[in-house]
Parts: sequence; structure tokens; C-alpha cells
Amino acid sequence: MAEEQTLGELLARYGISRRALLKYATYIASLMALPPAASTAMAEALAKARRQSVIWLSFQECTGCTESLTRSFNPTLENLIFNLISLDYHHTLQAASGTAAEAARLTAMKENAGKYLLVVDGSVSLAENGAYSTIAGITNLQMLKETAEGALAVISVGTCAAFGGIPHAKPNPTGAVPVSEVITDKPIINISGCPPIAEAMAGTLAYLIAFGKPPELDHLNRPKAFFGESIHDRCYRRPFYERGMFAKSFDDEGARQGWCLYELGCKGPVTYNACATLKWNGGVSFPIQSGHACLGCSEPNFWDKGGFYRPLSTATGTSGAWIGGAALAGAAVGAASAAMLRARKKSSTGEK
Amino acid sequence: MTPEARSPAGSLRTGVAQAVLSEIALLLENLAATGQAGAIDLRSLPLTEADRAELEEHLGRGEVEARLAVVGASEVWETAYAGVWWIRHLGAEGEIASETIAVTRVPEILMTHPADVEAAAARLQELIMLRRESAIGEETGNG
Ligand code: SF4
Repeated sequence: MAEEQTLGELLARYGISRRALLKYATYIASLMALPPAASTAMAEALAKARRQSVIWLSFQECTGCTESLTRSFNPTLENLIFNLISLDYHHTLQAASGTAAEAARLTAMKENAGKYLLVVDGSVSLAENGAYSTIAGITNLQMLKETAEGALAVISVGTCAAFGGIPHAKPNPTGAVPVSEVITDKPIINISGCPPIAEAMAGTLAYLIAFGKPPELDHLNRPKAFFGESIHDRCYRRPFYERGMFAKSFDDEGARQGWCLYELGCKGPVTYNACATLKWNGGVSFPIQSGHACLGCSEPNFWDKGGFYRPLSTATGTSGAWIGGAALAGAAVGAASAAMLRARKKSSTGEK
Repeated sequence: MTPEARSPAGSLRTGVAQAVLSEIALLLENLAATGQAGAIDLRSLPLTEADRAELEEHLGRGEVEARLAVVGASEVWETAYAGVWWIRHLGAEGEIASETIAVTRVPEILMTHPADVEAAAARLQELIMLRRESAIGEETGNG
């Protein structure tokens, strides 16, 4: 529940010093590429803020988003976010079940009306009036509508909630749609990815709690701090791309030498996310570093873009920038990607 | 060979270290002239491992080094250039969570926050009270 105490007072009770809060704010500010001086302001703002009530609803999803947020957080710096929020309902994590769990959601909605954040992972089924997915006998559709009503803002976590994701993939038997197609009268922040990067979720939450407003968003309502650059922009294999040095199969000499994976279907040039800089599993690696092309999981319709292993220029076929596969040179590929980027910007409404 | 080692960028000196040095010099002159502090977030820069090593080597180590145990470890040291501090915060796995060059007389992270002072004063008072009570208890018990 939301508390009367400030976070500073609450953390002091847990033995978490202001110095720890400053370190946390420095970490978040650095993640979000805020100016270093912002960390002091953020630490002070967090200390004065109240613990944020969060209701987390999971609909048509695989629980990967929750795994991403919880698994990557060891009990140190990275998990401090859990001290800043009061997770009042999360059916995977909460101890209560059945009627008690639903009662917790209703109580939080009542006590924090107009003030709680609603986090959603998973898409919403519309077919058959939402009968494909229900929790406690309530359809996802109905639960989303009634819970969003008193929310301050909605955070769609993961590509399913943000853009429909895998449930929305053809032939979409359940009529799955993103949250934004059901809720149109609340601010919505999309943190896409399958799953999304834990730091992107934590950073966005911390920013919201500290400054009481969302960070700057892109045309798909994603925080620019994490989705402002493409994977390709920050890919360490980029010098090979520029020189036209491409792996042609997963076990050829080029692949062994770490050449660019464009011809193996890499969607890095049209995928906006922070994998190349923040990486995964505490900064260990990311798909391209592990030898696999980017699947483009943080973009709308990533599942239906014509094949993960087909090069972009042939896979999308929508930009008019089709070029022959085998003899790609860096410059030619660059031109094709630029054309596709323009196409992407034009169809910026995502799935609508 | 790890993919990282194969990374064409890993062992390359790109010249970014030189640029950072020039920026630090500007910030330091400003600190000397106006007393105004500044900072550079190293994580926001496309530094390769080699660039980072080059920067660290050029700046060297000065008179102060501190190890912090604040939700994980942190290392803070004044470089060979007085007023230029290197602040490295480590995450759960010992990875670098944030890295900043602070150009200031004392980095904020080393200073004690007034709220922590207040809390500490209260806690110390509590301890004194407890000790007094237990001493009285012992005395009564002995008597
Ligand atoms: S195409 Fe993929 S592997 Fe190649 S440089 Fe771009 S993001 Fe990296």
C-alpha cells in the first residue's frame, strides 16, 4: 500500500543510507544517459517521494517479463527498485492466492485510486469477448479496463503488452491486441522486448517515482533513453558491416572471425533497444555477441516479418529496397537499411 | 577466443581517451577558477577497454583511495591530478554499474548526508540508553 512515510524515512528504517540512494541514482542516471549532475537531484527526489503502489497484471504472456525483472536482480544495487515500490498485486509473485489475491487488487485500487501505476505484461484477447484468457473468472479484457480506470499511468512491459507480440502473430486465434488498443485515455509507456531488459523497466520506474512524470518517449511510446538507438548503431560488429564483411553461415570462417550477421538475418538495423550497450545477465553478453543475429524482438510484428534467418532486405519486402542477397557490400546494405528506416518511420503507428 | 576478444573494438585505441582528457582539463580549470564542480559519465562514451586503460594510465593515482560498501562495492580514488576523482560503482556480479570522473574537491558519494547524520545520532542515543538500562539492570541484579 502507499505509505505516509517518505522513501528516505522508509529506507533509513531498512538501514539503507542516503549514500546508497545516491549510488542507485547515479546508476540509473548513467543507464538513462542523464547528465551526471541529475543523479543528485534524482536521489533527493526519491528520498522525498512516497513508496509507489504498483498493480501488475499478467495476461497472455509467458512470464518471461517477470523473470527478466526478478532473476537478473541480486540482492544489491540492482534490486533497490523493489524498495521503492509496493507491489500490491502480482499473481506470480504474491503469496496470497484465490479470493485473497483478488481482494488485494481491489483494496489497492481503492486505497490508491488515481495514484497507482498499472504494469501489464501480456496481450489482451478480444475474440469471444475475451473468453480465451481469464483470471479468477474475470476476462483479461474486463480486468484491464476496470484496473486501468483508477491508474495514474499504464506501463506495458514486454512486446506482447506493448505491440501484441507472439499471441498477436498470424493467425492470431485469440484476437490478441496490445494494451494501447483497449486503453486510450491514460498515459501509456511501452517497454518492449521479449523479454524487456530489466534495467529498462527499473530505470523507467525509478524515473517515474523520482520526477512524477515519464521520461522522454519515442514515436512508439518507448523511453528514448533505452530505445533511442538501434542495435546496429551500437553493435560492436559494425566495423565489419561497414567493410562489407559478412558471415554467410553460422559456421563459416566469417562467423568464426566475428563478422557482421546481416546476411544471416540480423534485424539490428531496424531494431531499437539497448541490448548492445546494457547487454544481458548483468552485462555478460547479448545475442549478437553470442553469435546469433538480432531477432528484432522489441519491434511491432517481429514474429511475422518474413523469417529470422532471411536478410532484412529480402525479409520485409515492404520498403521497395529489395537488393540481391549474395553480393552485398557495406555501402549498398547501408542504403537499403536507410530506406527501410524511412519506411519504418512512416508506419510508425505500429500495429494499428 | 571469446566473441569479446574477437570484437574489433576491444583492443583498439580510438582517441576517445584523449578527448576525455581535454574535457577533464577544461572542467578542472573551471573548478580552479570558479569552484564549480563537473562530471563526465564514462559509461555514456564509446570507450573501448584499451581507451579506458589509457585514460586510467594517464590520470594515475593520487593521495586518496576509498573502498565503499554501499549496496555492493564502490571504488573511489583521487587521480594524480588533485580535484580529479575516479568513481567506479560495482553491481551485484562485480561488473561496473557506473563509472564517473568527478571534477570536484570532494565527491558527493564520500560525504555523509545530513539525513544519515540525524539517523546516526538517534541510533547512538538509543545505544547509550540501552547500555545505561542494562548497567542499571546488572547493578540491581548484583545488589
Ligand atoms: S547488421 Fe547486426 S551484426 Fe551486423 S553490425 Fe548491424 S546489428 Fe551488428
